[in-house]
Amino acid sequence: MKTYDVMVIGSGFAGMAASLFAAKRGLSVVQAGGTGGIDFSTGFIDLMAVHPVAEQRVWEDPFAALAALRKDLPLHPYAHVADDEIGAALEEFTAFLGNNGLCYTGRPGRNTLALTSAGTVKPTYLLPCSAWGGVEALEAKAPTLLVDFHGLKGISARQIAEVRADWPGLRTARVRFPGMGGELYPEHMAWSMADQARRTELAEAVRPLLGNARFVGFPAIFGMTDTMAVVGHMEELLGRRVFEIPTLPPSIAGPRLRAAFDRGLPALGVRTYTQKLVSAAEVSGEMFHFTAGSGSTAVRIAARGAVLAGGRFFGKGLKADRHAVREAVFDLPVRQPEKREDWHRAEFFDPRGHEINQAGLETDAALRPLGADGQPFHPRLHAAGAILAHQDWMRMKCGAGLAIATACKAVRELSQNL
Amino acid sequence: MTTLHTRVLIIGAGATGAGLLRDLALRGVPALLIEQRDVNSGASGGNHGLLHSGARYVASDREAAVECREEGDILRRLAPQCIEDSGGLFVAVRGDDERYVADFPSLCAASSVPCRGLDLGTARAMEPALSPDLVAAFAVQDGAVDPFMLSLDNIAQALSLGGSMRRNLAARSMEVENGRIVRVLCRDITTGEDVRIEADLVLNAAGAWAARVASLAGARIGMLFSMGSLLITQDRIATRVINRLRKPSDADILVPGGTVSILGTTSIRVASPDGCRPSVAEADRIIDDARAMLPILDRTRYIRAYAGVRPLVSLGPAGDDRAVSRGFALVDHAADGLENFITITGGKLTTYRLMAEKAADLACAKLGVAAPCRTRTEPLPASTLGQWTEPGKGPRAWVDSRTEDDLVLCECEMVSRGVIDSIIDEAGAMRGRSMLKAIGMRSRVGKGPCQGGFCGQRVTGHLYDRGMIAGMQGLAELKTFTERRWRGFSPILWGVPLMQADLQEALYCGSMDLEFGPPPSTRDDEGACAPVAKEPA
Amino acid sequence: MDFFSAGLGLACLSFVLGLAWRVHGRPGSRLPAAPEQDRRKSGLAAGLADIILLRRTLRSGKVRWAGHMLLILGFLPLLVLHAMDGIVTRPLFSGYEPTLEPWQSARNILGLAALAGLALLAWHRGRRLLPLSRFQDWALPGLLASILLTGFLLEAAKMASPADFERMVADYFPEADSEEFLALQALWARENGVRFERFLPTAPEILEHGRELHEDRCAGCHAPTATAFASRALADALPARIVLPRTVPPIFWHLHVGLSFLALALLPWGKFLHPLASSANLVARGGRRDSGFPATALGRNLALEACTRCGQCSLHCSVAPSRRVLGNADILPMDKLADLRSWLDRSLDDARLTDLVEGSHVCTECLRCTQVCPAGIDLQDLWMSSKAALSEEGRAGVDGEFRKRTAGEWALDLGSRRLGGVGSSGTGLADRAESFWGCVQCTTCTGVCPVVAVSTDPQRDLDLTPQQIMNYLRMGLKAQTLGARMVWSCTTCYKCQEHCPQGVPVADILYELRQLGARTLRHKGKP
Repeated sequence: MKTYDVMVIGSGFAGMAASLFAAKRGLSVVQAGGTGGIDFSTGFIDLMAVHPVAEQRVWEDPFAALAALRKDLPLHPYAHVADDEIGAALEEFTAFLGNNGLCYTGRPGRNTLALTSAGTVKPTYLLPCSAWGGVEALEAKAPTLLVDFHGLKGISARQIAEVRADWPGLRTARVRFPGMGGELYPEHMAWSMADQARRTELAEAVRPLLGNARFVGFPAIFGMTDTMAVVGHMEELLGRRVFEIPTLPPSIAGPRLRAAFDRGLPALGVRTYTQKLVSAAEVSGEMFHFTAGSGSTAVRIAARGAVLAGGRFFGKGLKADRHAVREAVFDLPVRQPEKREDWHRAEFFDPRGHEINQAGLETDAALRPLGADGQPFHPRLHAAGAILAHQDWMRMKCGAGLAIATACKAVRELSQNL
Repeated sequence: MTTLHTRVLIIGAGATGAGLLRDLALRGVPALLIEQRDVNSGASGGNHGLLHSGARYVASDREAAVECREEGDILRRLAPQCIEDSGGLFVAVRGDDERYVADFPSLCAASSVPCRGLDLGTARAMEPALSPDLVAAFAVQDGAVDPFMLSLDNIAQALSLGGSMRRNLAARSMEVENGRIVRVLCRDITTGEDVRIEADLVLNAAGAWAARVASLAGARIGMLFSMGSLLITQDRIATRVINRLRKPSDADILVPGGTVSILGTTSIRVASPDGCRPSVAEADRIIDDARAMLPILDRTRYIRAYAGVRPLVSLGPAGDDRAVSRGFALVDHAADGLENFITITGGKLTTYRLMAEKAADLACAKLGVAAPCRTRTEPLPASTLGQWTEPGKGPRAWVDSRTEDDLVLCECEMVSRGVIDSIIDEAGAMRGRSMLKAIGMRSRVGKGPCQGGFCGQRVTGHLYDRGMIAGMQGLAELKTFTERRWRGFSPILWGVPLMQADLQEALYCGSMDLEFGPPPSTRDDEGACAPVAKEPA
Repeated sequence: MDFFSAGLGLACLSFVLGLAWRVHGRPGSRLPAAPEQDRRKSGLAAGLADIILLRRTLRSGKVRWAGHMLLILGFLPLLVLHAMDGIVTRPLFSGYEPTLEPWQSARNILGLAALAGLALLAWHRGRRLLPLSRFQDWALPGLLASILLTGFLLEAAKMASPADFERMVADYFPEADSEEFLALQALWARENGVRFERFLPTAPEILEHGRELHEDRCAGCHAPTATAFASRALADALPARIVLPRTVPPIFWHLHVGLSFLALALLPWGKFLHPLASSANLVARGGRRDSGFPATALGRNLALEACTRCGQCSLHCSVAPSRRVLGNADILPMDKLADLRSWLDRSLDDARLTDLVEGSHVCTECLRCTQVCPAGIDLQDLWMSSKAALSEEGRAGVDGEFRKRTAGEWALDLGSRRLGGVGSSGTGLADRAESFWGCVQCTTCTGVCPVVAVSTDPQRDLDLTPQQIMNYLRMGLKAQTLGARMVWSCTTCYKCQEHCPQGVPVADILYELRQLGARTLRHKGKP
């Protein structure tokens, strides 16, 4: 049985980033995880936008926000990662995505407001190129046509237009999707958009509705791979700028990311086990021994170091019974509110966020999770991403960025100990 | 200011108020029913949905036991569409009071409540989820009732016979002259409009708010409020009602609710009928206790909790709220110097018809109307008003008879866009301004495992598409809807529901930033949180 | 007319007539025409490589490949160079005699290789394919093995036979005197394994004399029999004082040749033809493993004949568990193919036709059998076209029956409409509440489903999507799902289950519903 340098536990943003960084540094990497969190991503990469959460203060400069954050919340995981490392990690990550067919863009050092399917705008740092047209249209309040489809449930153009009453140039139209009827699913629509004939049909349906619109926005359906090629073709056909808006699940933003990783990571030599959760872990001497999956298809994996990037409850990195939150692989101590009464607030949208969302693994400065004695549990076990304590990614708007940055740091620290 | 004239004004559209509207209509007395929120906003919308056989009260309250048995029989006969005649079991496990078990059959006989002893193997074959540690089992005639359908069917028939109803109309003050209430001043809480009602007789059927309403006329009623919380499981765990065979206490009963089961309850004194919500502690207490009779309750998936407030008219010294009679109180306020004012309150869902009968008898006596009560014999016609609250109706209709071009907006419970449109259209003026809330009450939207996480957004999009809401209103209502579901969702967040909530917050806040923007709309809720409407059984 | 000519003549006649009979029916033309032909990427070279290197067989297992390779590499040269030595070897190699080297040792090596191959194949069949095997599956290797064994026995007998020795001397050394005869005998007894009745001297000078005579008279056509090591071993194993009667070699000869003729005669029957038919099919398929080429009548005829009954398709079949539940052998591809052939030949009885129809419709067209078939048969094409042909004849089978009515009508007919199945007490995944505890309504299963993707209107074509079916089952409304066309269109690709973030066994449940539907319909007496 081969012994790997790094075992990455989890296949969300943090897990994918950790595998990428470790492979790029020449380490032998094996990764196991489920199909959870990343499939529900909007595709946006948030870095940092809201602090303090309770005041709902939104920052235009994410690095200024980070500075304030580190001062006010010295236990936040971002306190362990320097700005330049964060920047470098994001660049490496998006370059990898770019090499695997997913173009990303953004303004260095500035958050951008992006349109969501609910009609709200959210601050984010890096966006898929296919959504950038929406940013330009929004900022210029340009005359824009938003198109949605009969039978596609996760998005209503009319809703977006109503909510964005501050954008009078926004018009809406609903068309039939060529070749499909009844209930539509974005993934199927995206596959069919790979066909040039379909794109032409769609353009033909939309063209009469364009009017003076300079931009045309669609739900995110423009191909699973080579999105920009499809968008480019649509722009050609319509003679306008075209952009995508991520839909409610089942959106394809997440599957696009996953597909890019499924293509690119094995090409870098990462051994990936999909739909296999780590069910057992032992430490003996210098080695970690993991069991991934269960039953007759379980695999045994040996590694010298590991990165715990299993995410939170939906990602299955943390699990909760009626009494307590536990960490799923090593049963490491989890910082958490004393009683379940305190886990959640009386109101879902309470601006302070829910206490339970700050629960998680506490670490040292090298991002090694602490054991019951307050010392790192193991010199070569690190943690990254949403499983870390003292952060609320959903309210701070720091999910993907935190995952990527902490994965980078964790891998760097780990590689020094291997 | 609008002035409405009516012979009888009924305040409160719970089961009693609805039953009164019907009873009077059948006697040829058209009445106006007003309600500050929506149908079944009080205890009628927050109870267990249990059609008592009476066996629960044979030791503690014989009168209630007999009443339940009689009324249960009547309802089964006359309103079968609202009832699932599932039958029930009383079971004791090792450690329960054996004397109570031994006395049980004779106590049932003394109240003429049918009860049949079962051998343990038979009981477990009938209900495989029962604990292996059973020591006794009896079969009784419990059933499950859909209180929402019950109230709506009563109202529907009354409306067809000349009665009328207005939602969102809250009584604010009453003008009394010469010992009679001459005017009731109301406000429409959605439009802010003031409405004046002049009636010959005022019936106070406001349930837990009866004391408050009575005080508008200057009358005093001593009332206690007992909140009870219940848990809903994702699947139907037992075919029948399962009761704990012991002196009535918390966590005694599991009632089938169509495709789910409802477990409860608790009894906590609260100061006011407003602002009650189920708590984490209660959820844990209920499960820790009830798992003795049904071990699967410890591992099964719950989808939400809810709470309702029981109005108890206090007749004596304080103590365990269960010791206060569940029997109802019919108060003729002539004793308070008010000739044309009657209050009917207390009681339980199973005896609503009897309560309405007694109140209507008194009212007709005052009005000089001789017609007798017909609700003992007159079947309750099934109406379409509440049809989509029936569990399983949506999915069956989808497979049987959907139209082309229709699609499903609530996947958990298979409620289609066509059904939602029909609900919106039929609710008409009764729907008030919160569309999502009205839809949620009249269907199963939001009641499945996702607790509105997905369907809330889809329905909001649809309402925008239909042009029924504009601007930020949809988002505000979506947030209200979410907060309402949250009250019931938050006490049961462990295991899979916690993953569900994690996903919901990731979408709503992480992806769509909904925690910013317009606050949840509170127009429909005066003051703090209202009791959550119950899922119909 | 002697045995040989008569036998050969009859065998050839039988072969030709049998082959003609086998292909005459052109049953492939009875299947409805395929849609467009997909002419990409087929190649003669690839087809030949499939035959020569047995690439597809290697893909399905090393043991089978090794067995086949040994058998073919052993048997084919024997067939060509030994059995047909009169028309092949002798003209090509001047001075050829079967008793010379390298032919003697070659025969033995090849014969042993072939036997080793047969042993491997028999072992594999005994281990993996026993329940699927019928008489012909054992008859073919058995016949080949007997040919080989009788060959060895014949050679051994000839070696040991004194009568043959005497005949040879009479023919080629008639002038030998008794002393020379004795010397030659002694040598042959000593060195070439002949078993004479009388005791023979072993004095060196006699042997030397014998050797000289041998060199002079025999060695031109006879290599030492020790080079035929296997036969020699057999001959030497004969107990010491047994002398073979003169009738024995001819018996073995008649057996050996007779069995060979039998094999030739039987070649057109059943799987005996597969060396020819499968090769033809592999050439036609040109290396392709997908479906749809060549979906012509000729292509289908070749496909129908090419089955080697290796059983790989049945071992990999997605719906194999249905076979256990429903007990119908035609659910598995190998037997289904045979019955399909019979049906196309109009020689299938009604009972078997019912089985064929059911098997045809339980199939989920998942493409596995086609990909795995070592003979390269385009099974998927046969299944789909035969399903259409059967349906046209009114034999729409289980899913055809289901498609005749709406899901709602089936719900009325099939099941109780009682709500809320009691949790944790059902026998299948679909009955168990735990199966659905994890579902968070994300609709990922529906989103990845290729069947929903290719449907132009999922509600119209499929009634319910996978996630919706899970919700129905969660609510206890199983009857409504059995008639849903999604269940009958599922290809068991397992994408739904592979992508579910919460571990709901979506594909397993759909599969369970399909089985349940088939079984339920059977009990209602419909075909």
